[in-house]
Amino acid sequence: MNQLLKRKSRGDAWFDIINYILLTIIMLLVLFPLYFVLIASFSDPNYIYSGEVWLFPKGFTLDGYERIFGDSSIWIGYANSILYATLGTLIGVAVTVFAAYPLARRNLVGKSAIMWFLLVTMFFSGGLIPTYLLIKDLHMLNTIWALVIPGAGGVFNVIIVRTFFQSSIPDEMWEAASIDGCSNTRFFWSIVLPLSKSILAVMVLYHVVGFWNGFFDALIYLNDESKYPLQLVLRNILVQNQVNSGMMIDVESYAAKMRVTELIKYGVIMVSSLPLLILYPFLQKYFVKGVMIGSIKG
Amino acid sequence: MKSVFKNAGIVVLAGTFVLSGCSGNGNGSTNQANSPDQEANFNKTGLPIVNEAVSLTMVSPKAALAPEYSEMEIFKRLEKDTNVEINWENIPDTDYVEKKNLLLASGDLPDAFYGAGFTDYELINYGKDGTIIPLEDLIDQYAPNLKALLERRPDIKSSITAPDGHIYGLPSWEDNNLGTNPFFHVINKSWLDKLGLKMPETLDEYTEALLAFKTQDPNGNGKQDEIPLSFMHMQWCMDIAGIFGAFGLPDNLEHRVVRDGKVIFTAIQPEYKEALNYFHEKWYKQGLIDPESFTQDAAQYLAKGKTTDETLGSYIWWEVEEVVGTERGKDYALLSPLKGPNGDQTIGRSNGGGPGRGAFVITKENTNPDITMRWIDEQYEPYMAAQIHWGPLDIVYEKDENGKLVNLPLPEGTSAGEFRQKVAPGSGGPGVITFEDFGKVVDMEPRAQQRAEDLEEYYNAYMEKENYPSIFFEPEELDKINKIEPELIKYVNTQRGKFIVDGGADEQWDNYVKTLEKMGLNEIMEIYQTGLDRYNANLKK
Repeated sequence: MNQLLKRKSRGDAWFDIINYILLTIIMLLVLFPLYFVLIASFSDPNYIYSGEVWLFPKGFTLDGYERIFGDSSIWIGYANSILYATLGTLIGVAVTVFAAYPLARRNLVGKSAIMWFLLVTMFFSGGLIPTYLLIKDLHMLNTIWALVIPGAGGVFNVIIVRTFFQSSIPDEMWEAASIDGCSNTRFFWSIVLPLSKSILAVMVLYHVVGFWNGFFDALIYLNDESKYPLQLVLRNILVQNQVNSGMMIDVESYAAKMRVTELIKYGVIMVSSLPLLILYPFLQKYFVKGVMIGSIKG
Repeated sequence: MKSVFKNAGIVVLAGTFVLSGCSGNGNGSTNQANSPDQEANFNKTGLPIVNEAVSLTMVSPKAALAPEYSEMEIFKRLEKDTNVEINWENIPDTDYVEKKNLLLASGDLPDAFYGAGFTDYELINYGKDGTIIPLEDLIDQYAPNLKALLERRPDIKSSITAPDGHIYGLPSWEDNNLGTNPFFHVINKSWLDKLGLKMPETLDEYTEALLAFKTQDPNGNGKQDEIPLSFMHMQWCMDIAGIFGAFGLPDNLEHRVVRDGKVIFTAIQPEYKEALNYFHEKWYKQGLIDPESFTQDAAQYLAKGKTTDETLGSYIWWEVEEVVGTERGKDYALLSPLKGPNGDQTIGRSNGGGPGRGAFVITKENTNPDITMRWIDEQYEPYMAAQIHWGPLDIVYEKDENGKLVNLPLPEGTSAGEFRQKVAPGSGGPGVITFEDFGKVVDMEPRAQQRAEDLEEYYNAYMEKENYPSIFFEPEELDKINKIEPELIKYVNTQRGKFIVDGGADEQWDNYVKTLEKMGLNEIMEIYQTGLDRYNANLKK
């Protein structure tokens, strides 16, 4: 601290100190909810609701985790989610990049027509039921394909990647390469892709997160519990029914439902967000770079 | 006669459709409609229903804790007895409505919806356009149990019959009269004793007791952490609607009561205003109402009863123990309706409460409606109905010497509710357990018995005589209600909270009533009145 003060003017030092204080506060604001979920997952739900848990777990219990780890459906969901996220990301990123690269090249015939064609889909969609009917007629219902294929190649992502190619792969590079006898394909694989690691990382992250957190498609298209992704399993466990006159009928199930839910709610959040929390730091360095470059120069 | 043709038409139609694009679980039932083999295969009476196994597809909601229905013991037994194999498509109950609407809208239909939860509107509309088929002839021919039930109980029959005279959905009902008043008013008896107060009989005594709870530290921890009164605004079994009765007009969740055959909207009556003023002046202003009463969810509410130090003075819930736990429950006692400032002492009677009407529907895709009807009819046999609702023999029940179903002890470490969800479809499932069946066919659960006794002891004597029955409206009436009512009730409830918290009911009253009239209050009250008059006329027939 002293050294720090010596080397800098007073104003600078103050600026730094205040800066650090502010950043620390912001960091706490972001971290505390995560931390709270962590301690809450070890606490007795009644203490959580009465507001007695805030720095340390109270009424320490492992029941929640016992239930979670004892429940096979959660693990099946985990496996499914990993499968869907991997396959979906592979397909999605591939389609996105393959669509974006030609669109980034100046010499593509009918480029603007294709672009329009894609853009229209951003603003007009068929709607839920027509989409459902389409998936049904493609015989994709209740299969993994219903989740990983229909959403592949999102137009928004295609535009981001295209912009990245346009701004970071100069045309001269292609000219130089083609003079040396390089084919389009070779150029794409050996030069463009290696230079685009950052945008690829961003795309991978977008897709993984999207698949990991997505539940709606699974909800609509899947029927077998053995195919449910984690989010849907969790949703089924956690989503609370309102207490209503239906309760009149079954005296006890509401309380029972609620007890289980409260017990595992926080543990489940921990368990399900862990993979993404682990993934983020590895991709983070590309992230900032990639998104920014993709966003400048339309 | 007409509907026989209709059915035949549907069967032929379904035959021509032959499930375009089966939903991936290989259930394209390849039965040709009405082939001679099929006739021979089907037994009109006795078991099995079919000699050669036939499979049907059914969509059904299920509780989160439940396994797929194909894994459920009760359905395995049914399949063994009937030789009808069901391909279940189970949808978690939380997402059921969404998915059901999607299936119906896209025409991706199963043979039947089980535990279907069809609303009146859906029954009528999908009945009209032929998506689901009328069932009365099938009941007549293939459903001896259900037919007997409907003959024995014309009220059930009239209740499930749509205004156009058809029956589209089958009933589900536990006819136990437990829902007549869900608003059980609970007070901390041990605190009253400690502070030397007697059980309040009038509203003012009750208010004094709450004030004493707040100020005199009855839990003795030196902190003012007592919550005199907590509830959940406009929620079933947790709202203060019952206490409005002290002013002569009990409220309920629909704000709709019936007296002498006239429908009254409570939320514009002078008694209601008087009550709101009282709750604001005497309770909210003095800090006797837990401010979270208007926002908390059930989990938070239930946790308040289980804090380390006892903090809850009074609450509303129809079972003392559920809020405060069994141990602490001994400190609390139920309150009969309180006498109001003008000597009124009444409690409301919940509206509706007849059988559910949409527990099972058969779609036009079904090529074996006769088999389906026989299969579902098995579940209207009283013993089977009880097992469908609460769990199977040898797992939840055993038969005692009189042949009555009595509860077996629960497995270690599970609660009854949790356990039941795993072994039976539960209360949304088909099957009717009539009032006579309780105690003869099946034991009422101990908790339900307790509730029946409490109702008798504390509330029945003061209860409103009439309620608004669950009436099957015409589709255009329903259209109008659905258009107006949700917004209107939302507004009333918001205002109700505001008047209690901020007061000002007197100044804003005219404005509030005008707004309601603008929203269409009179129109829907007229529909409700017409519906009730029609219903009463039908009963007299």
